[in-house]
Amino acid sequence: MRNILVRGVAAGAIALLALAGCSSERSGGDATASSSAGSDKGFPANSLIGVALPAKTSENWVLAGDLFTNGLKEAGFQSDVQYAGSSTTVADQQAQISAMVTKGAKVIVIGATDAAQLSTQVEAAKQAGATVIAYDRLIKNTQGVDYYVAYDNFKVGELQGQALLDGMAKKKSSGPYTIELFSGSQDDNNSAVFFDGAMSVLKPKIDSGDVVVGSGQTDIKQTATDGWKAENAQRRMDSLLTSTYNGDKTLDGVLSPNDTLARAIITSVKGAGKPIPVVTGQDSEVESVKSIMAGEQYSTINKDTRNLVKQTIQMVKDLQAGKTPEVNDTKSYNNGVKVVPSFLLPPVIVTKENAAEAYANDPTLAPLTK
Amino acid sequence: MSGAPVLLEMRSITKEFPGVKALSDVNLVVRAGEIHAIAGENGAGKSTLMKVLSGVYPYGSYSGQILYRGTESRFSDIRASEQAGIVIIHQELALVPGMSITENIFLGNEPGRGGVIDWKVANRRALELMARVGLEEDPDTLIKDIGVGKQQLVEIAKAFAKDVKLLILDEPTAALNEDDSQHLLDLLRDFKGRGITSIIISHKLNEIAQVADSITILRDGKTIETLDIKADGVDEDRIVRGMVGRELHSRFPDHTPNIGEVFFEVRDWTVRHPISADRLVAKHSSFTVRRGEIVGFAGLMGAGRTELAMSLFGRSYGTYVSGQIFKDGQEIVLKSVSDAIEHGLAYVSEDRKSIGLNLLDDIKTSMVSAKLSKISSHGVIDHVREYQAAESYRTSLRVKAPSVDEGVTKLSGGNQQKVVLAKWMFTDPDLLILDEPTRGIDVGAKYEIYGIIQRLADQGKGVVVISSELPELIGLCDRIYTVFEGTITGDIDRQDADPELLLKQMTSAKKAQRS
Amino acid sequence: MSRVKELQKSLFGGTTSNARQFGMIFTLVAIVLLFQILTDGLTLSPGNLISLVSQYSYILILAIGMLMVIVAGHIDLSVGSVAAFVGIVVANVMQDYSVPWFPAILIGLAVGALIGAWQGFWVAYVGVPAFIVTLAGMMLFRGGNQFIGNADTIPVPEGFRTIGAGFLPEVGPDTGYNNLTLLLGLVVCVAVVIREWRGRRTRREMMADVAPMWISAIRIVIPVVVVVFATLQFAGGRVGTSFPVSGIILGVLVVIYGFVTRNTAGGRHIYAVGGNARAAELSGVKLKRVNFLVMMNMSVLAALAGMIFVARSAASGPQDGIGWELDAIAAVFVGGAAVSGGLGTISGSIVGGLVMAVLNNGLQLMGVGSDRVQIIKGVVLLLAVALDAYNKKQGRFSVIDSLMRPFRRDAALSPASAVEAGQESGKSPVAG
Repeated sequence: MRNILVRGVAAGAIALLALAGCSSERSGGDATASSSAGSDKGFPANSLIGVALPAKTSENWVLAGDLFTNGLKEAGFQSDVQYAGSSTTVADQQAQISAMVTKGAKVIVIGATDAAQLSTQVEAAKQAGATVIAYDRLIKNTQGVDYYVAYDNFKVGELQGQALLDGMAKKKSSGPYTIELFSGSQDDNNSAVFFDGAMSVLKPKIDSGDVVVGSGQTDIKQTATDGWKAENAQRRMDSLLTSTYNGDKTLDGVLSPNDTLARAIITSVKGAGKPIPVVTGQDSEVESVKSIMAGEQYSTINKDTRNLVKQTIQMVKDLQAGKTPEVNDTKSYNNGVKVVPSFLLPPVIVTKENAAEAYANDPTLAPLTK
Repeated sequence: MSGAPVLLEMRSITKEFPGVKALSDVNLVVRAGEIHAIAGENGAGKSTLMKVLSGVYPYGSYSGQILYRGTESRFSDIRASEQAGIVIIHQELALVPGMSITENIFLGNEPGRGGVIDWKVANRRALELMARVGLEEDPDTLIKDIGVGKQQLVEIAKAFAKDVKLLILDEPTAALNEDDSQHLLDLLRDFKGRGITSIIISHKLNEIAQVADSITILRDGKTIETLDIKADGVDEDRIVRGMVGRELHSRFPDHTPNIGEVFFEVRDWTVRHPISADRLVAKHSSFTVRRGEIVGFAGLMGAGRTELAMSLFGRSYGTYVSGQIFKDGQEIVLKSVSDAIEHGLAYVSEDRKSIGLNLLDDIKTSMVSAKLSKISSHGVIDHVREYQAAESYRTSLRVKAPSVDEGVTKLSGGNQQKVVLAKWMFTDPDLLILDEPTRGIDVGAKYEIYGIIQRLADQGKGVVVISSELPELIGLCDRIYTVFEGTITGDIDRQDADPELLLKQMTSAKKAQRS
Repeated sequence: MSRVKELQKSLFGGTTSNARQFGMIFTLVAIVLLFQILTDGLTLSPGNLISLVSQYSYILILAIGMLMVIVAGHIDLSVGSVAAFVGIVVANVMQDYSVPWFPAILIGLAVGALIGAWQGFWVAYVGVPAFIVTLAGMMLFRGGNQFIGNADTIPVPEGFRTIGAGFLPEVGPDTGYNNLTLLLGLVVCVAVVIREWRGRRTRREMMADVAPMWISAIRIVIPVVVVVFATLQFAGGRVGTSFPVSGIILGVLVVIYGFVTRNTAGGRHIYAVGGNARAAELSGVKLKRVNFLVMMNMSVLAALAGMIFVARSAASGPQDGIGWELDAIAAVFVGGAAVSGGLGTISGSIVGGLVMAVLNNGLQLMGVGSDRVQIIKGVVLLLAVALDAYNKKQGRFSVIDSLMRPFRRDAALSPASAVEAGQESGKSPVAG
């Protein structure tokens, strides 16, 4: 009786051995793993390029996704552009990157949700022979990142700090000026870079007493905005207004790292019935450009997503052709285990004065400046 | 009665469920103004027949004809039958405990316009309806604050609110004590005087014999006979014969008790109500049980019999105040149910479905659930021993189920009760406390349960039986304690026990040992 | 009985509640095959299977604990926050106090146990509904995570990452496969055969009908074929990858908890409490202790899941664990557990979790965006539970119906009472 069982099992096992044998990924696996991203040979022009972006929390990511989809298609690649889900962001992005690896993507462009939690997936991608480009946010603590493409974020911070000073000087000829500081989400590598850039301009003024931080909160842990969420910035501004500016004390300026937060801050100030201070921003979001033209928000930064995506796609094309992509900084960006070759684009500060000029080429924003 | 016009005639009703013929060619004739009883064992098809009549099973799902007031009726749902004046009151009352009497009476039938309830009208009509059923309460009282008997009256008032012509009562007195039952039966006679026709389904054959004008007996989904109570001289034995298809010589199996020494004694047991701390549900109660003895506890509903039993059983009810329990001469302290089980006590609750069984379980899981340690070693259950244990009880107690893997919900009340009994027999108890062991169970199954109880006593165990049916206590027990408002008022030997004496002791605090 | 029915009965134990599980396994197979076709064979490729296991093992570990919580009639909303809290604590002790990774794991489990004891205390001994206690815990431990980590990301050392990102190592001769994975597969195959053989022996001891030989053959051949296939796929992944360590942890937990829930008195007490707490109490079950342990166990498993995720992510971050409770709860309900407690199995929940995981993974492989993935997952959850309601109407077994029947007015609407009637009427009159 038991013979039937044994025979059945054996037959099934043999059939499957044959079946499974075909799909083993071991044959020649060593070769793929050891070759570094295959940059010396290039890859077919119709290969799959994966793009993993964070959740759709700001217009820029949505725009970037569209630009990648179209740009990669025009260049003849297949593209797989994914956004992380709105709540389970990190886990989603991890799964998406793994899926891209499985699908055999040759280049994976990653706009990280949490720059420190992707090393396992990035290394797996690397081992599978893909090239990893960190887009806008540098991926930390891994050997697996090949390139980094971004706007010069320290420069962004410097420009924001300077704009804040200029704007306040325009409104009130002499100091001291009272300001508040906001920074981005702490899990985003860039937050600190923006903040440090801005502080490199503001710190001397604070030390000399020209500029006063009303609440005294100057530490990045105090100024951070969790998850880059507008509601968190607004909540913090509300409490600052009640705690520090409840009397006659006026607030002259607010350093805001981006437009979404800038608008949240302005909303909060308006709600409290206070005059709108000078508020900086970044990203040139539609609503903020409108706000600048209306004289509410003071400045934003034009980091034209088109140029950043264009540069990234150029890198992908170079890799495809077997060329080494162009970089312009091989020293500044250390992710904890290696210095990542980077290509940095210069940002532009935009106020009401130069808006028309700055957005002349932007089909969405240009009409708003007229 | 036979002269009165026919109000309802159900002709060759056949109702099939997938694979089962629940009703087969059943006929029922009810005349206007009579009280018509329907009797039959559980599963005989009584409830199914009433569901066909009330439209729960809509026209088309059965075959046969319903002639109501001379025309053929095709009810599509309960609403349709209620509009025709047919109202059914189920055994499980459909009242909302957190709502007032008025709100319940008019639930789904609220007086008023455009969804806005006219409370003035509602309250006035509620008072009228309550007067008709003899219910004296504030109409704003919440349902949960009145007793089961009064709740039953609210249900009937609710039926009157719908302008009832034919009132169907399914086991109306099952949960009522003697007094409330009597009141309800009187009420039925009163309705009859006012021209309302009633159909009553009951297991209590004495009530049928007392109140009904005619009776239809069903067995195995078929009509056996329709009898005129007076003309045919129908008594209980005659009904039983129809129900089970043969003579049942006695309602209790013959039994010669073999009573030994006192082995279980309770002294001065006092327990406080779990919520209202000033209320004592057991007051200085003392009693004894001998080996091989069946001891009855008689009392009105709310007398505190269940509360006494549960508080003894590992303090699972109320707050312990004072008292001692002795077993075999040794004092034992039972602070939890597991202590009680460990010391050989078993309590079979009066409410099988809500606290006696886990209705998700199958038979074998239920049977072993009170003493898993017996079939497991180091906490690991031996499925073979579990199966064998359950199987032996299934056979010895004659549980009607294809296997012990059957879910307990699929069993009839009598068989469920056997499963619960098996569950507690499995714990090898020395003292079994059975709370209303035959409630809602048909005649044949009752007889079997009595047999099991007697066998347990013969094995040298002590058995305590709590029952609201005095004939049951008198027929089964060797000795009966009476309880009145938490106090034990009498200790009556079998030969002295008669209903009159018991009732007297149950309703007076004569032999009270007050604090 | 038809052969199909006989097969279904003997493959899944025969009781009707297992019909749902049969359905779920069938659904899982169908989904896998569907995506296998839609993704041109990527779904069952070694690389994808490996990442599937390491991506979802921590959710499935949560589902094990959640199943027991839900069977006992409770719910735990705090698991994501507890996982994140334990993750940051463990990352912190390793970074700031240089605790080696193994003691750090023990610390993490101990913290989980403490949190569980805290929640269990409120649920079992104070009587606060678990929904409220764990809703509070959800906020409490999320805040704790941010308090300790300053909403920052803390990296963890290499050794610790093994539990989340590690694989069975390469040992022995070069066979073209990962040898340890092959060995593991062999052990599982042997276990399947032994289990069937012992099952037959048990049936014989019970003097019950022993299934025909051909059914036993099927019961062995199908799982063995699946195991062999999976083994070869896992063992045949890229060099350096094989069966994930987190998958082994999951497997061990499934075996242990499957045994505990099915075969021990303690496990049965959980079902008794969830099915009818009062009846369980009157049968000598220590209600409070069961509730306490179930809640505590959940937090320990949440701690483990949190650590595995941190290990896989190489760092503990402020967004860890967000939304996990919902994934775990969904897995349990898709796997056939009843909302009101008392019903459900570990294996069902694992299958339910796998259905959701394969769905997620397959859609991602197809390049479907996470917005649409969520919509589809929501619909699947709804359909899975709605199917139960539909089956009830069709007269098949229904979890919800069997719960509600005793309390409903028009009881005989459900066919079970018809069966009751049929059984009674089929027998000769009651003996006297």
